[in-house]
Amino acid sequence: MKKFLKTYLPFTRAGMQSATAYRVNFLAWFMGDIMYCLVMYYVWRAVFASSGQSSFNGFTMTDMTVFLFISNITRYITESDGSYDVGEEIRDGNIAMRLIKPVSFDMTFLFTELGFKILTFLMIFVPMVIGVEIYKSIAFGKVMFHIGTFAAYMLSLVMSYLFSFYMNVCFGFMAFFLKNLWGFNMLKGSILRFVSGAVIPLALLPDTLRQVLEWLPFSTQVYTPAMIYMEKYVGWELAFRLGIQALWVTGFCLLSQLILSAAMRHVTVQGG
Amino acid sequence: MWLKNTGKEIRRTFRLLRIFAAQHLKKLMEYKIDFITGAVAFLVDQVVNLTFLTIIFGNVAHLQGWSYYEMLFIYGFSLFPKGIDHLFCDNLWNVGYWIIRKGEFDKYLTRPINPLLTVTVEVFQVDAFGELVVGIALMLLSVSHLSLPFVWYDIPLALIAVLFGTLIYTSLKIIFASIAFWVKQSGHLVEMVYNMNGFSQYPTRIYSSVVRNAVTYVIPFAFTAFYPASYLLRHESPLFCIGGTVAAGSVLFAVGLLIWNKGLTAYESAGS
Repeated sequence: MKKFLKTYLPFTRAGMQSATAYRVNFLAWFMGDIMYCLVMYYVWRAVFASSGQSSFNGFTMTDMTVFLFISNITRYITESDGSYDVGEEIRDGNIAMRLIKPVSFDMTFLFTELGFKILTFLMIFVPMVIGVEIYKSIAFGKVMFHIGTFAAYMLSLVMSYLFSFYMNVCFGFMAFFLKNLWGFNMLKGSILRFVSGAVIPLALLPDTLRQVLEWLPFSTQVYTPAMIYMEKYVGWELAFRLGIQALWVTGFCLLSQLILSAAMRHVTVQGG
Repeated sequence: MWLKNTGKEIRRTFRLLRIFAAQHLKKLMEYKIDFITGAVAFLVDQVVNLTFLTIIFGNVAHLQGWSYYEMLFIYGFSLFPKGIDHLFCDNLWNVGYWIIRKGEFDKYLTRPINPLLTVTVEVFQVDAFGELVVGIALMLLSVSHLSLPFVWYDIPLALIAVLFGTLIYTSLKIIFASIAFWVKQSGHLVEMVYNMNGFSQYPTRIYSSVVRNAVTYVIPFAFTAFYPASYLLRHESPLFCIGGTVAAGSVLFAVGLLIWNKGLTAYESAGS
């Protein structure tokens, strides 16, 4: 374990350093997400006002607001660039330099990205959550923060990131077949945004669609953690949802290893 | 004499544009899959947003007085200025992100054509067809379900609104990409401002007054879709809805050219 950390922590440090260099970009990207949340906030406010109802399928306007901001920060912090990075390295041949070193291919990516995530966590995640908690306290008239719920949410968040990481490693190998990685990643991004439950709470979808999406693995990336944060999953259901998450993480981890070993036999790198 | 020279200049520019366009078409034929991936990505992104809209209207009959098909019309309209700017002026993003920072802007300065024009026409972004196709489909669909108060001059007015709406997008990109002449990199700023276009697709009445004034008078995205569309849908004040679009587009374009030209004098190439 000590050797493991000694090998990979320098990657995290390097990740943090490049994240620090690009911190303004992070803030700007996140501001874009905030704009999106704001638009959605106003749209939902108009929907509630126009319908005269105070809740849709158990979601009040306050729930909706909390969901918007929490689902977005969850998506933001659990998103992984793995598919793009792996793809780029396969294309430009840099993958060879990774393969000849005595380190694990996916761990180097994971620990580098971890560096970025630590900075995002401190710079964006913490202030956002504090903001949401303040909003909740004002809306409900009392402090609503429960350390137990938050711990469950954090556990769910870690699994959600690992899931997203391994899923993206799997996607990264598509680079063998595709040239337009940028377009492909955008396509993947917009579909994921919907099926992960970041655009609209799955509870508000038509029944069949909701059930399909709930059973697909992608909803565990955003919808599950967000629902845990909002205390919509409690007791046995909470344990059940966390268990499902753990299963999908393991599943995609194994799948990525399979693809990795199969792909390694086929990698051809031109030139030097 | 001056007039004769300008005429010659314009003719030469158009000849060059034709040559650039021919090059783009050749590239397009070379990378067919790339073109399809990119266009499909933008198409799917729109479909996700439309699904959201459709689900919302499953719960309410109207949004602050605007019906489902009226909303589709506004949404469809918004994709024209957005898509046309995307098609012709996509390289402005790269100016903000890396063309200036890497010193590659040098090559535009050595050419005997206007640098802004060259850098803009260099990329013909076919991904935009994804947006334009959805835009056309939405217009056809919504118009067949609505009874518009149509008069013949609505057609030229709509074309004028699309043209100046496009100019709003392009000018904002020019303004914020130009900042890179002083600070080397401003792509994230362009991104932040560009992302505010989400506010253009909804009736401005749903926003609080601060946001409404911001998207009308400061970053006037509301003039790229909602205002012109509300003229076409309900013949609301043409002076404000269409005239405002023309005014916003012209003013921003003038400001854009001013900042760009100032930036050109401040540009210093990269070291190596």
